[in-house]
Amino acid sequence: MSAPGAILVITEQRDGKLNRVSYETIAAAQKIAAHTGCSVEAVVMGADVSSAANEIAAKKLAKVYQIQSPSLEQYTADGYVAALKPFLLEKSPSLVLFPHTYQVRDFAPKLALALDRPVISDVVGYKYESGKLIFTRQMFQGKFAADVSFTGEPPYFATVQAGSFRADQAENGPAPVPIETVNAAVENTSIRVKSHEIYKEAKQAVDLTQAEIIVSVGRGIKEQKNVDIAAKLAEALGGELAASRPICDAGWLPIERQIGSSGQTVSPRLYIALGISGAIQHLVGMKGSRSIIAVNKDPEAPIFDIADVAVIGNLLEIVPALTEEVKKAKAEA
Amino acid sequence: MQSFRKPLSGVEHPQMDADVVIVGGGPAGLACALRLSQLIDEHNAKNPESPLTKENISVLEKAREAGQHCLSGALLDPRAMRELLPGFEREAPLDAEVKKEGVYFLTQKGKWKLPITPPPLQDHGNYVISINRFAKWLAKKVEDAGITIFNGFAGSELLLEGQAVTGVRTEDKGVDKNNQPKSNFEPGYDVRSKITIFAEGARGSLTKQLINRFNLQANRNPQTYGVGVKELWEIPEGRVAKGEVIYTLGWPLTRAEYGGAWIYGIDGRQISLGLVFGLGYNDPRTDAQHALQSFKTHPFVAALLEGGKMERYGAKSFPYGGWFSIPALAGDGWMIIGDSASFLNSQRLKGIHLAIKSGMLAAEAAYHALAAQKFGVTQLSEYPRAVENSWIKKELWPVRNFHQGFEKGFVRGLFHAGLQQLTGGRGLYKKYPSHPDYAQMKRLEKLPAEDPSRAAILGPARREGNLTFDKITDVYYSGTKHEEDQPSHLVIHDTNICNQRCVKEFGNPCQNFCPANVYEMVENPELPGAKQIHLNPSNCVHCKTCDIVDPYEIVTWVPPEGGGGPNYDGM
Repeated sequence: MSAPGAILVITEQRDGKLNRVSYETIAAAQKIAAHTGCSVEAVVMGADVSSAANEIAAKKLAKVYQIQSPSLEQYTADGYVAALKPFLLEKSPSLVLFPHTYQVRDFAPKLALALDRPVISDVVGYKYESGKLIFTRQMFQGKFAADVSFTGEPPYFATVQAGSFRADQAENGPAPVPIETVNAAVENTSIRVKSHEIYKEAKQAVDLTQAEIIVSVGRGIKEQKNVDIAAKLAEALGGELAASRPICDAGWLPIERQIGSSGQTVSPRLYIALGISGAIQHLVGMKGSRSIIAVNKDPEAPIFDIADVAVIGNLLEIVPALTEEVKKAKAEA
Repeated sequence: MQSFRKPLSGVEHPQMDADVVIVGGGPAGLACALRLSQLIDEHNAKNPESPLTKENISVLEKAREAGQHCLSGALLDPRAMRELLPGFEREAPLDAEVKKEGVYFLTQKGKWKLPITPPPLQDHGNYVISINRFAKWLAKKVEDAGITIFNGFAGSELLLEGQAVTGVRTEDKGVDKNNQPKSNFEPGYDVRSKITIFAEGARGSLTKQLINRFNLQANRNPQTYGVGVKELWEIPEGRVAKGEVIYTLGWPLTRAEYGGAWIYGIDGRQISLGLVFGLGYNDPRTDAQHALQSFKTHPFVAALLEGGKMERYGAKSFPYGGWFSIPALAGDGWMIIGDSASFLNSQRLKGIHLAIKSGMLAAEAAYHALAAQKFGVTQLSEYPRAVENSWIKKELWPVRNFHQGFEKGFVRGLFHAGLQQLTGGRGLYKKYPSHPDYAQMKRLEKLPAEDPSRAAILGPARREGNLTFDKITDVYYSGTKHEEDQPSHLVIHDTNICNQRCVKEFGNPCQNFCPANVYEMVENPELPGAKQIHLNPSNCVHCKTCDIVDPYEIVTWVPPEGGGGPNYDGM
C-alpha cells in the first residue's frame, strides 16, 4: 500500500528508455522529500515497461509502479488521463511531479482538470518555508521568476523544467525497490485520437536541451567545410553539434541547431564553444551550462568571461588534436 | 544567398472594407483615432436619426502592441493633449513635471554651464514621459472608445485607383527565407478604405511610396532627418532629480555635426540618456551608437552612471526638415500626419504635441468627409488648411529655416540662428534650401585629413565594463525579435554596389550608420581577401536610418512580418 501523502513522480519513457528530465524530476522529488519527510514513488507508463521500471527501481524510492495497458502502447492524452485519474484517486499522493516535456504539456492540464486540481508548470526551483512548499516558476520567457504555492486540497501537480535539477543527483537506493504492476483499465473506445508513427519534423530533428555534451561552432570556424572538424569532436565525445547564429544564418547548419536568444536555450554538462565570440545573444542561450570550454583566437572575446577553461589559439589546429586525444582516452577506457 | 522581401505573385488577398484606416499606432495615429471617435460620439448624440458607425474605423500597428516601437526622449509639451483630453494629466502616465534644467557645453574632459537656458530648451511645464507607456495608455483609450487596433499588422503596399488611394494591403505572414509560403502562410489583407491616414512615423515606408508616386515633395525642401540613440539607466538615488532635464552640446560631437545629448530624470533613480544628430553628416564612418558610448565616458556623465545599470536601448530617426519639408498633406482618399508629415520642431526637438495636433486636425477633416460622404482632394484639403490656421504653423513658421542654417556646420549655424532670431525666422534668405541627407556623405578620398578629436564618434564602439557596450550588446537590450525564417525586410536593390563600389568609395557606411548591427561586411569564402555584405535583419530596430542615408539610395526598408521589431517597454 502506498502511504497517503507520498510524492509521486510520473516519468516519461519512449521505447523503454527514460529521458533525462525524468531523472531530474526524481532528484527534485528526493530533495523536496528531505524537507517534508514524505516518501517518493515513481510511475512508469506504457504497454510493457518492465525494463524502464527496473532501471528506475535502482533509485532511492519507496516504490515503483508500472502502469500497463495495451492501450498505452502509444502515447495519447486520453489514454494517459484515463489510466492516471483512477490511480491518483486511489493513491491520493500529496504532490505529483512531472518532467516539463512536450508530452506532459499535452496531457497534464487535462489530467489536472479531470481531478479539479491546479498545476504549477515550468518549475525551476522550490523553497520550503515554515512548513509550506513554494515553487519558483518562470514567467515572460524567463525574464521573471515568480514564487507560487498551492491552495486547496492535495494532490498538487507541478511540472519540472529541464535543467533545473541535476539528473546525476538522483540518488540510488541501497537495493532495488519493489515494483508493483498496475493493470490500467483503459477502454480503447475512450481514446479519441489515433497516433501515427512518431516522426521528427525537420525543425525538431534535434532536441539540444536533452544533450549532455554540446560542441558549438561560431564564425571563427571560417568555412563551411571546417564544420566537419567540430562534428568529429562532437562524435568522439558523444555530444551534439550546435552553432551560433551566423553559422545557421549562412546555412552551414540547420536553424534548429542554433543556440541563443533566437534559438535554443541549453544547459548541458559540457559546452565547448569553438570560435564563438560570445555576444550576449549567444550567452543567454548557454550560460547555464555546467562547464564551458571556449576556444578563440581573440583573448578579448567575451566568451572568456564565462568560460571555465579558456583556450586562446587557432581552433583549426586545436580541435583535430583534441578529437584524437578524446578517441585515445575513450579507447583506453 | 540572401532573399529580399517582395510581394508574392499569384496570391489572392482577402478583402476588407473600411471607412477610415490609420496606418501606424503612435501618438499621431492614436490621437487621430480618438479625436475621430469623439466627433462621431458628438454627431450621434446630436443626430440620432443619422448615426455614424465606428465599426469600420481601424488602426494598423506593426508592433505586437501599440507603443512597442515608439521611441523618444521623451518630453511632452502638453498643449495638444489638453485639447484632446482636457484634464489628461490626472490619468496619463506622466513620470514627472520638469522642475530643473541646465544646458552644458562639453569638451572632452571639461564642461561649462550656459548661464541661462536658451528659450527653445526651456521645459518648465513640460512632462518627462515614457512614450512607450504613453502610447499604450492612449491605445487603451482608443480601444475603449470602440475603435479596433490591429496589432501585428503592417501596411505593406498602397492600393491605388488612378489618382486615388483606396486603401492598403497588409504584409504577408508566414513567408520563408526564400520568399516561399510556409505551412502557416496567410496572405495580406486588402483593406479597402474610403480614407487612408498615414501615421507611420519618420520615413514611413508607405508614405515614402506615396510621396514618390504623386511627387508630393515638389516645390518643397527635401526632407532631412536626424537619428537618436537612447539608453535607459537605473542609477543610485540622488544624482539626477525626478523631473530634471540636462542638455549638452559639444563633445563627443564636433563642429561638423548638428546635434546634442540629453539626460532626463524619470523618478530619482531611472534616467533617460541619449544623443541625436543630423543624418546630413559627411564622414561615412560616423556612428551614432559609438557617439552615445563616448558621451557616457565623459567625466560628468560617467560620474552620474557609476554603479548604475543599463536597462534598455533603442534608436530611431526623426524628421528635421521643418515647415518647408512638409509634403502635400492630403489628396484623393488620403492624408499624412505626425512625423511622416514632418511635424517636428527642430529647434525645440519636440514633435509629440505636433503629431497629436496634426492627428486631431486630420480626424476633423475625416469626420466632415464621412458626414458628407465625399473623400476627394477638395474635401480632404480641409486638413492642410486647418494646419495652416492652427498653432502648428505658429510654432513651426518662426523656426522654418533653423535646421537648414546648420547644413554647413555648427558655427555657421549659430550665425544663421542668431540672424533668424532677429528677423522672425527669415534670416538671410526667405527659404533656406536643404539637401537630402544621403547626398551629403563624402567619399573616403574626399575626407579631410585625420582629425583625432573625431575618433570618439567614428567606427565601432568597444565595451568597457558596465559603462560602454558594443553595438551587438546594445541591440540585445532593445529586445528586438523577428521571425527568423523570413526574407530580409531590408531590401538592397543591388548588392554588387555594396561589394564592389561602396567598399572602395565609402567604406560600407551601413556598418556604422545602422545602430543595430544589421549590416556586416564578412569575408567572401570564394574570393580570398574580398568582403561581401551580410545582413542580420532580425537585429533591425525599425529606425529607418539605412533607408534615409545610404549614399547610393539602394536600401529600402519594408515592413517585416507583423509583430517583429524592438520591444521598447518603458522607453
